Amino acid sequence: MTDKIKKMQDTVNGIMSKYPASAFKGRKGHVIVVDHSEAPQEMVADTRTVPGIITERGCTYAGCKGVVVGPLKDTVAITHGPIGCGYYSWLTRRNRGRTEKPEDHNFLAYCFSTDMQETDIVFGGEKKLQKAISEVVEIFHPKSIMICATCPVGLIGDDINAVAAWAEKEYGVQTIAFSCEGYKGVSQSAGHHIANNGLFKHVIGTGNALKGEYSLNILGEYNIGGDGWEIERILKTIGYTIMSVMSGDGTVEQLKSAHKADLNLVQCHRSINYVAEMLREKYGTDWIKVNFLGIENTIQALRDIAKYFGEQSLIDRTEAVIAAELAEIEPEMEKYREMCKGKTACLFVGGSRANHFQGLYSEIGIETVLAGFEFAHRDDYEGREVIPFIKANADNKNIENLVITPDPKHYRLLLSKDKYKELSQEMSLNYFKGLIKIMNDGNIVVDDINHYEMEQFMKILNPDIFASGIKEKYVIHKMGKLSKQLHSYDYSGPFAGFKGAVIFARDIAMGLTTPAWSLIKPKWKQDTHLEGSYVYVEEVI
Amino acid sequence: MADKTVYRSATENPFHICMPLGGIMPFKGIEGCMILVHGAQGCSTYMRRLLTEHYSESLEIGSTCLNEKGTIYGGEKNLKQGLENIRKVYNPKVIGVLTTCLSETIGDDVERFAEEYLADNDCGDLKIVTVPTPGYGGTQAEGFYVTARRILAKLTQPAPKHEKINLIVSHITPADIREIKRILDLMEVAYTLFPDYEETLDGMYRDEYYKIVPGGTALAEIEKMSGAAATIEMGLTVDPEHSPGQLLLDQYEVPLHRVPIPVGIENCDQFFRVVAKVTGKKIPEQIDKERRRLLDAMIDSHKYNAEGRSAIYGEPEMVYATTKLCLENGIQPVVVACGRGGNKLTALLAAEMEDCLEDVLVLSESDLADIRGISAMKNANVAIGHSKGHYLTEKAGLPLVRMGLPIIDRVGGQRLLSVGYDGTIQFLDRITNTLLENKQRTYRTQMYEKYYKGQRKNITLVKNSAN
Repeated sequence: MTDKIKKMQDTVNGIMSKYPASAFKGRKGHVIVVDHSEAPQEMVADTRTVPGIITERGCTYAGCKGVVVGPLKDTVAITHGPIGCGYYSWLTRRNRGRTEKPEDHNFLAYCFSTDMQETDIVFGGEKKLQKAISEVVEIFHPKSIMICATCPVGLIGDDINAVAAWAEKEYGVQTIAFSCEGYKGVSQSAGHHIANNGLFKHVIGTGNALKGEYSLNILGEYNIGGDGWEIERILKTIGYTIMSVMSGDGTVEQLKSAHKADLNLVQCHRSINYVAEMLREKYGTDWIKVNFLGIENTIQALRDIAKYFGEQSLIDRTEAVIAAELAEIEPEMEKYREMCKGKTACLFVGGSRANHFQGLYSEIGIETVLAGFEFAHRDDYEGREVIPFIKANADNKNIENLVITPDPKHYRLLLSKDKYKELSQEMSLNYFKGLIKIMNDGNIVVDDINHYEMEQFMKILNPDIFASGIKEKYVIHKMGKLSKQLHSYDYSGPFAGFKGAVIFARDIAMGLTTPAWSLIKPKWKQDTHLEGSYVYVEEVI
Repeated sequence: MADKTVYRSATENPFHICMPLGGIMPFKGIEGCMILVHGAQGCSTYMRRLLTEHYSESLEIGSTCLNEKGTIYGGEKNLKQGLENIRKVYNPKVIGVLTTCLSETIGDDVERFAEEYLADNDCGDLKIVTVPTPGYGGTQAEGFYVTARRILAKLTQPAPKHEKINLIVSHITPADIREIKRILDLMEVAYTLFPDYEETLDGMYRDEYYKIVPGGTALAEIEKMSGAAATIEMGLTVDPEHSPGQLLLDQYEVPLHRVPIPVGIENCDQFFRVVAKVTGKKIPEQIDKERRRLLDAMIDSHKYNAEGRSAIYGEPEMVYATTKLCLENGIQPVVVACGRGGNKLTALLAAEMEDCLEDVLVLSESDLADIRGISAMKNANVAIGHSKGHYLTEKAGLPLVRMGLPIIDRVGGQRLLSVGYDGTIQFLDRITNTLLENKQRTYRTQMYEKYYKGQRKNITLVKNSAN
């Protein structure tokens, strides 16, 4: 163990020692100091949140309605419950969607709720839900409807599946019910799973769209700040066909034919790996773990995809596009790199982004000293090799595990056994290595960080940037540090691909150099200088 | 005036939010308070997200993180553990517990759990205030008053009579609270303002970082509100059962004066009249000057305002004040709406609208889809309400004056000033300028369509008839 690792370990122990005994027990395994000599290091993740600790996590409903189902633009998602849940998950700016033709449906600007009242809780809300569906069908003529359940629905026993069946029969409109009550599971991750199961069972495989050349599904891409559009732009320039996107700017219509794609790309491993695996089991389609955040990562992804198909013309086209894109962005990137280099960042986001953004940061000379996820599972930290060892518990057993068998008509394997073996050595084929492996010794990994731990790490690590979400944004600003929202991008973006990398670099450079920082001097910052060196004296002079 | 409730089962683009959200502000308005939401963890996370976006401040709200086990066996263990962790890590003076749909449906006896927790642990002076706020029990407007009332019920003690007055504010902005304080200081009135979230929800950059932001009504002050000379409460639309002022009247015989939010010249006049009467203080010259400036502004802007046709939506108390402001200035309200719980508002506005030249639709249960439909039908040219109304602008071209909560697509929602004579001028200017901006953008086209094109048509007609 090096001095750096040991020192960091002592610091972490100090922070944890402040907890009451039961909370200490609950939090202990969630924070590790990276030490590759000890690999594989084990994380505790996807466990229940400690009550009263100010967690950044959301609920199962949020994962299902807010993350996966919500961004599908051509479907009407009805929240069955009291008004708050629907209101809070109303998508407005985060996910973007566009329609090709004026007659195409785009319901992203809408929020539908049954606004349950006390009487509905007492007497049941099924009738109200039925009426709501009737009204929605009459006014909007959607091609599909998604019913998302909230806490009281499960408690009072409303049978939303029966209502969905009724609606299909009555109106001939596909209606899918999601039992995603907020109290199920330990975080929004359970909601992703429930949503994905529902879409896999009822939507994927029901369509018959023509398959284009080199056809791909982009899974786990939610088009935050237009990321999906930049990714599509690059892929289409090279010559790929996008069969479907799950689910940013996505449609139920496209999703129906997702089973026909040649290859699946997995961007957010956490929220979508189940779908990728089920597609492989049922249709034989392989998946590659890609990361379109960061220039190097994007290039790697593009080369992997081309290599999977293996045709020289495609590989050549890929290289030509990479060269052209790089030539366009490099001069500007260099400018921002000069402004950012040597800084440090903490990343606490979702279930994949704390991993995805590290490349982007390092490309502008910023080291990630702490990274962690809100709702990731052990495989997101340790890699997929740990999956067989993850213990089943009351919470994860709670979520339906679909039993999949190969589809007799559509099952096909694109690669020979030898080719598969060869490619597995060269790329993340049906595999994801997780977060810990990309971090440096002495860096910190935290699962399900809370307000207290965040404050402590801010003081000790003194990073230049803390990247997270809106809930943490202003506490970071109050500490005199730059915050960067990586859930909604502070209304900026895209950050993906080549052009996105420049926007990201510009945002960070602008954030680090905004004149306000030079006008403030938080006390604990001054203290560091006093203890440390001559820097303080210089400033005074 | 017509009262209509367009009853539908699907709420399409709602503009009211749930009850526990409204409970956050009163708790943020008392000194040294931490909030714990008893329910699934999504509730606190969602509320934090919305309020953080609106106030541009961090909101530390804990959750008891109820899961499936808790829903079956009850949430007692989670609540007690939550209280313990909040107390140990944050060391607050008060913990406010808000319930949710989940904990109310399973029937947790939250008050008993809290009492047991205090009895079983050495908590010093820690107070716990529990508030039943199921999401289906009301909107954020009710959550605000119910919580404020529970805080007083729990923290106010019998106290000797004193000369201070209690000023209980409605859900106004931190900037509004600051203005009310300035006014009362100017009048040299001794007062306890409650709930005072002026600094906690519109913070400043401080040299030191505080886990619990300083500010809020002092607990020592709240304790003594029972001995005040009188209570002035902003809340004409409030159910007496929810009213904090009513509690002080019933329990401690503190005389209660209900006033509207002082927005608009008449509401301001009423506010100052009541404060002056209750305290015996004179209205200072400075305030008189501010009133005269408002009058001047009203006269100068009337030509533009007279073209205004407004759609007003939001929480009942602010909707009432805003409607009065429109009426005073010749802006014709065409639809005035609450998401839910607007029954009292309907009766209150009936009296105000007797002289209106045209019918005003007052909706006590509605959503933005209703507003959009009625606005189009009745040619509204300005909407006044919170950010979710941007949908009216995007889909129907109706310009929006942002007001209320949440304001999440512009900065500074917490700094909007609308109360007092000065604040009224600012609010009125925002409305007038929106009307002007809209006119500037569209009037050349409209003139062309209406007169020039129309004239050409007439010429053609004349020609035709000559032939």
